[in-house]
Amino acid sequence: MQSWRRKSLWLALSASWLLILLRVFPVLRLKEPARRQAGSPQGWPHWLDTELLQSFSQPGELLEDGLQPPQAPRGGSCTQGACFDASRCRGGGLKVFVYPAVGPISETPRKVLTSIEGSRYHTASATEACLLILVLGPDTPAGECHPVPPQWDGGKNHLVLSLHPAPCLRIFQLGQAMVAEASPTVDTFRPGFDVALPLLPEAHPLRGGALGQLRQHSPLPGVALIAVAEERGGWRTAGTNFSACPWDGRCEQDHGPKQTHPGAMLPNATFCLIPGRSPDALHFLQALQAGCIPVLLSPRWELPFSEVIDWTKAAVVADERLPLQVLAALQEMPLTRVLALRQQAQFLWDAYFSSMEKVIHTTLEIIQDRISGASAHPSLLWNSPPGALLALSTFSTSPSDFPFYHLQQGSRPLGRFSALIWVGAPDQPPLKLIQAVAGAQHCAQILVLWSSKKPPPPRWPETAVPLTVLDGHRKASDRFLPYSAISTDAILSLDAHSSLSTSEVDFAFTVWQSFPERMVGFLTWSHFWDEAQGGWGYTGERANEFSMVLTSAAFYHRYYHTLFTHSLPKALRTLADESPRCVDVLMNFLVAAVTKLPPIKVPYGPWHQEARPPPLAPGSPRLRAEPQPAAQNCINRMAAGFGHMSLVSSRLRLDPVLFKDPVSVLRKKYRSLEKP
Amino acid sequence: MCASVKYNIRGPALIPRMKTKHRIYYITLFSIVLLGLIATGMFQFWPHSIESSGDWSVEKRSVRDVPVVRLPADSPVPERGDLSCRMHTCFDVYRCGFNPKNKIKVYIYPLKKYVGEAGVPVSSTISREYNELLTAISDSDYYTDDITRACLFVPSIDLLNQNSLRVKETAQALAQLSRWDRGTNHLLFNMLPGGPPDYNTALDVPRDRALLAGGGFSTWTYRQGYDVSIPVYSPLSAEVDLPEKGPGPRRYFLLSSQVALHPESREDLAALQARHGEAVLVLDKCSNLSEGVPAARKRCHQQQAFDYPQVLQEATFCMVLRGARLGQAVLSDVLRAGCVPVIIADSYVLPFSEVLDWKRASVVVPEEKMSDVYSILQSIPRRQIEEMQRQARWFWEAYFQSIKAIALATLQIINDRIYPYAAISYEDWNDPPAVKWSSVSNPLFLPLIPPQSQGFTAIVLTYDRVESLFRVITEVSKVPSLSKLLVVWNNQNKNPPEDSLWPKIRVPLKVVRTAENKLSNRFFPYDEIETEAVLAIDDDIIMLTSDELQFGYEVWREFPDRLVGYPGRLHLWDHEMNKWKYESEWTNEVSMVLTGAAFYHKYFNYLYTYKMPGDIKNWVDAHMNCEDIAMNFLVANVTGKAVIKVTPRKKFKCPECTAIDGLSLDQTHMVERQNNCQK
Repeated sequence: MQSWRRKSLWLALSASWLLILLRVFPVLRLKEPARRQAGSPQGWPHWLDTELLQSFSQPGELLEDGLQPPQAPRGGSCTQGACFDASRCRGGGLKVFVYPAVGPISETPRKVLTSIEGSRYHTASATEACLLILVLGPDTPAGECHPVPPQWDGGKNHLVLSLHPAPCLRIFQLGQAMVAEASPTVDTFRPGFDVALPLLPEAHPLRGGALGQLRQHSPLPGVALIAVAEERGGWRTAGTNFSACPWDGRCEQDHGPKQTHPGAMLPNATFCLIPGRSPDALHFLQALQAGCIPVLLSPRWELPFSEVIDWTKAAVVADERLPLQVLAALQEMPLTRVLALRQQAQFLWDAYFSSMEKVIHTTLEIIQDRISGASAHPSLLWNSPPGALLALSTFSTSPSDFPFYHLQQGSRPLGRFSALIWVGAPDQPPLKLIQAVAGAQHCAQILVLWSSKKPPPPRWPETAVPLTVLDGHRKASDRFLPYSAISTDAILSLDAHSSLSTSEVDFAFTVWQSFPERMVGFLTWSHFWDEAQGGWGYTGERANEFSMVLTSAAFYHRYYHTLFTHSLPKALRTLADESPRCVDVLMNFLVAAVTKLPPIKVPYGPWHQEARPPPLAPGSPRLRAEPQPAAQNCINRMAAGFGHMSLVSSRLRLDPVLFKDPVSVLRKKYRSLEKP
Repeated sequence: MCASVKYNIRGPALIPRMKTKHRIYYITLFSIVLLGLIATGMFQFWPHSIESSGDWSVEKRSVRDVPVVRLPADSPVPERGDLSCRMHTCFDVYRCGFNPKNKIKVYIYPLKKYVGEAGVPVSSTISREYNELLTAISDSDYYTDDITRACLFVPSIDLLNQNSLRVKETAQALAQLSRWDRGTNHLLFNMLPGGPPDYNTALDVPRDRALLAGGGFSTWTYRQGYDVSIPVYSPLSAEVDLPEKGPGPRRYFLLSSQVALHPESREDLAALQARHGEAVLVLDKCSNLSEGVPAARKRCHQQQAFDYPQVLQEATFCMVLRGARLGQAVLSDVLRAGCVPVIIADSYVLPFSEVLDWKRASVVVPEEKMSDVYSILQSIPRRQIEEMQRQARWFWEAYFQSIKAIALATLQIINDRIYPYAAISYEDWNDPPAVKWSSVSNPLFLPLIPPQSQGFTAIVLTYDRVESLFRVITEVSKVPSLSKLLVVWNNQNKNPPEDSLWPKIRVPLKVVRTAENKLSNRFFPYDEIETEAVLAIDDDIIMLTSDELQFGYEVWREFPDRLVGYPGRLHLWDHEMNKWKYESEWTNEVSMVLTGAAFYHKYFNYLYTYKMPGDIKNWVDAHMNCEDIAMNFLVANVTGKAVIKVTPRKKFKCPECTAIDGLSLDQTHMVERQNNCQK
């Protein structure tokens, strides 16, 4: 009884406490909303008669908005549709004719002319062309401008190209001509019709060009945050603690520790502040080259190639009227974004700006994209490595067909490969090789490229996969033609005398699937700088590093056939045809120029060594007897053709996980790699 | 209620004396308490209901009751509008100075009814769509009701349709807004600009410097980077339920559904149909519609009637031709049907073209090429068409579907211009969710082989095994590329040995003392790390030679975005809390390397410390385990690439390392494996 009473007493007590709490809390709670009501947004009212409101358009008004005859293009404004006659390009795609120079011309226009003539769109006949280019030089006095060319026709289908602010440009009655001008002002620029070019320095190289300066992905801890472009062409770096605007004369005394660099020096900082006046556009390219993120302060000029390049990924366009906020934003920018901007700026420099040739070819590519409409480069191809000049839209417009974009697309290359066996003049049908390859797990088809003078044998061995014989033209570059019979992404390129085991093929293909943009090969060469000869050389000697894999046994993506055939200058391909050994070098050059990475070496059984064909390895004894200069000349001419040495060396080889590990052979997936 | 409290306080003393009455006493007490509870409950809800009814009276008003403003005939009219306006010339950014979190603040003027001198209303007060639009802004994060802090001002004057307003008087109404100031920072919405006979492509109301979000801009009236081109909202979006239809070939290849077309266009269409027969369907108004069927919902071809917009789902491509205006509501219907729009309207600035990549969802054909349109479309590969169909539908869902979507996209575009460093990326605007989920953007995407000269920083995490630690330090210091050695002293109870006791090595050695014994300390992005390459090594890994470590660094240089490690058995060799063993130890695939000895990029330290998803980091710290698995998953997750294992054997002539079958891992696995990790 007592306990019951005590319990109920406690209950009553706690209940009354609860009451007190409940009495007090509502007061507190009520206060909260009351205060919020005073300061919180009132919001747009909810009208009682919302349901009764009329629609903004009368029924039928959206359907019939009156009839109007087609509009004629208004003067001064042109669009691609109105002022460019694309039907003239219908036949053979874009064909470009450039008016030859009159009289002596200076260095820059000559480089422009050379670049246009080197383009795959160039034609020598003005009647055949659908785009006629007039190059204006920088230093012609206003009185002696280029005469209006005979085919001018009101400027229709013309492109007036001026890499410097040209006095002549405004003298022309431009009419319907497109203008490609360096750093055009935003007010005169016609988006979608004109092309904005970068403002290039006087001594911009013709091809190749200086590589970007970025050597590492992330900025070093000690590097200055900001470099400011100065009027005289130099850069001034400063620490992070600006107390006021670093680019405004008003607060000159507030600068932190500062250093002034001479004009030619590239800035070494994370961000490069560039004022918006037109002459400062020159700084823009310097910043890109240095991998310094350009911060443009209310630019009054159109950014170069803004039609296709997404500059928000590589530069920051800020308002010069808000100095402190811009600085705060730069200081607080997350590392992830800083990394992305830096790398993108550097990629754009390498892809589109580092040489005159790239700038001109990009211009033509933009016009080609406008003409081709739906089969133009998608934005991804322009804005991620290796860039639209190296990702041909004639191959495909779907990014997942290329080897470069699988990560971004969330796709994978096709899980099969095609073996392409090249049978040269003295060779016998490679029956043993066909069997070895056909037994590979992922082999989809075998293609025999018959380049021998003898007719191919009427009968081929029975294989598990389809075998097709293609007829070659007995040229070395034949093997890299984009044959339509190739149905897979991966190609295993083989020679008739190559010797491979099924296990090696299987493993190499697995590796290729991880690196679809690279070449994966078994035999390697390396290049070196020959001091004695003053040129490049290469050797098949076994060394600690390599930079090329032989295409007599290598996996690579089908796309490189298209690129080899359609993008390489004719001179280089002829060179390859003259000296068959050059084909290997050329293909390696091409892939390295695209990926900027070395090829990959996979294990190759030592028991194959006897079968290794002597004529293919320049280091082997029989070849040493041959006159070396021809072969060495080949690599030097390629380096000249590409503008720089694009090969990259590697020091590693990829093996299966349990390769030569002390475990039972039975547990290994590729056991025959270790024992023949 | 206060009484009951007092009662209770006295209670314990009274009870023993009132034994016989205790029953009544308790009953009374309980009833009082009960009453109190009920009263409190009532009190709780009472003020609320008063308050909300007060709200009711404030918010729920009728549109007809809004205050009337009479505009004198001679009140000022704004300037016509400056075609050279750009954000950095005509927009006053100083007003956006206060906005936190990189978000602009938008103020909406209260609704008023404007009448002219004679008392004739200037326009219909507000349309349903404009009301929706203002509600959407008001409900969004952009809204502020404080006019002094606002960066952007939206008048409540409805300008959506120029036909329903009087141009001059509306302009006067704009000019008398309290913060008008030549229209600076004012945003006007218009969908149907111009009027007969010349149909201007931008709103005719003089608006000075105000930004215009307009439907149907042409390149001549559009101020690039200042105005925003918006779609013309199609009321059918809300009226009709149209389930999504997957991409793929459809019954008709090309369809035209617009009714008001210029005779010339009609001729072209008829010619197309004549040439290609069944593949092309040209629809027109129905002449004999029965009563009650809205004209907007039916289209006819000869005598055959079709339901609109359902018929659009039967076609692969749908024409969007220019009418009197450039902007056509049919574009919205077409996108919704997953039909690829073929836009034939020269100089039309497509909706949101500043951010949307229309090449991915539409085909733009010049007007003079209209007769070739069929062959142009035929040349598009099928896969690309399917991609465009998906993209079209996604554009509609994201940016066309409702007035709200249109309003928010417009504000986002303006916001991105003002805070460019916090802007939304191309991918965020354009990639449909399916692509966003599956794609990986490698943070270290630039192909780059870092120079060897930079070297690496070795980080040794240690607790108290000083002897073993010194052996590791001596061994690691022999590696030629080592540039700095960092010892993370994780023991708070014991001081690290004196300086003189440490082994003398040729590179700087730095001891970092931590505040807490956490495994995550190993992955902290210390400022002392001045190289990109980091070697994480346990204080018990003494069997790796300097050659092996040097080779590991060389491998990392060629794969800077991957983890490069040595096999796990090294880790198992001596680890006091090692209760788990990985099956992957001796299989043919490797998905992880142990961070007991591994090279990786310093950036992953930053990611581990600041960007690690969920509570994984806390889990690791709480359980003192699995930090290496967390790191492996993190790297695989952000780069989508597998690890590299380096074989640690001395007697190899040529340097070798091991590849793996590529594995990419996702977040869900991560959590699962986390839980399995400690068996």
